[in-house]
Amino acid sequence: MSHDETVASPPPEMPLLFATELQDHLMTASNDLERLQRLLDDACLALMEGFHDSAGQLGSVIDQGHEITPHLHEVRQTLFKAVTALQFQDMATQLIAHTNKRLRNCADQIARDAMGDDDPDGAAVVEEGPLKPNPVTQDEMDAGSVELF
Amino acid sequence: MHSILAVDDSASMRQMVSFTLKSAGYTVIEAVDGQDAWEKAGGRSFDLVLTDQNMPRMDGISLTRKLRETAQFKATPILILTTESSDQMKQAGRAAGATGWLVKPFDPNKLIEVIQKVIR
Repeated sequence: MSHDETVASPPPEMPLLFATELQDHLMTASNDLERLQRLLDDACLALMEGFHDSAGQLGSVIDQGHEITPHLHEVRQTLFKAVTALQFQDMATQLIAHTNKRLRNCADQIARDAMGDDDPDGAAVVEEGPLKPNPVTQDEMDAGSVELF
Repeated sequence: MHSILAVDDSASMRQMVSFTLKSAGYTVIEAVDGQDAWEKAGGRSFDLVLTDQNMPRMDGISLTRKLRETAQFKATPILILTTESSDQMKQAGRAAGATGWLVKPFDPNKLIEVIQKVIR
């Protein structure tokens, strides 16, 4: 047998206590992410209510066919800036969901590897990890790119 | 007045897209995901479809592909508005028949400008 053909040895077993602690930490992080999501949802709801009131007032002026005065134009541009900023909730939600899925998948795999299968049918319940790379790669709220084909 | 089908599973995104488009004088019909959009597209025509990519039941690229198979939407501009910015995804969108790829967050002025450019 050449050096390149060495038989792969099984990975070293993780001590049970360490595995349990690691799994606990991952589950705590996952639960914290879920709490963060609820906070974001609440904050966004409140912001959207304020946005809606202002947008509704502007909308009714436009619907009535009034001329867009420089002042109204300025109001609309201010609301447009809010539109760009308020998209944080959608992006953060996707990022949190992806990261949470990965954390839960890691926690389940550690539990299965350290403690074995715990289901009556012998199969451990392992939450599926994300199937695709993280969809959110932006790290700022500047407007994104536009590409016409 | 031009009508636009706006598709996004996020309620806040739908509201912001609708506000932006309505303030520019467009009529907006909202759909909560690709499947909902497909059902709403069945009964009528639109001047443009603006869709998110990652949605439950049917994603934006699958919706684009299905719409392009119909005579009704063969020439309708379809824009994908998404957080996804990878070249691989963009090419998949292009292959499905999308007219353009816009990465979130969108700038309302830029969105209106692009729509005015592609709508006929």
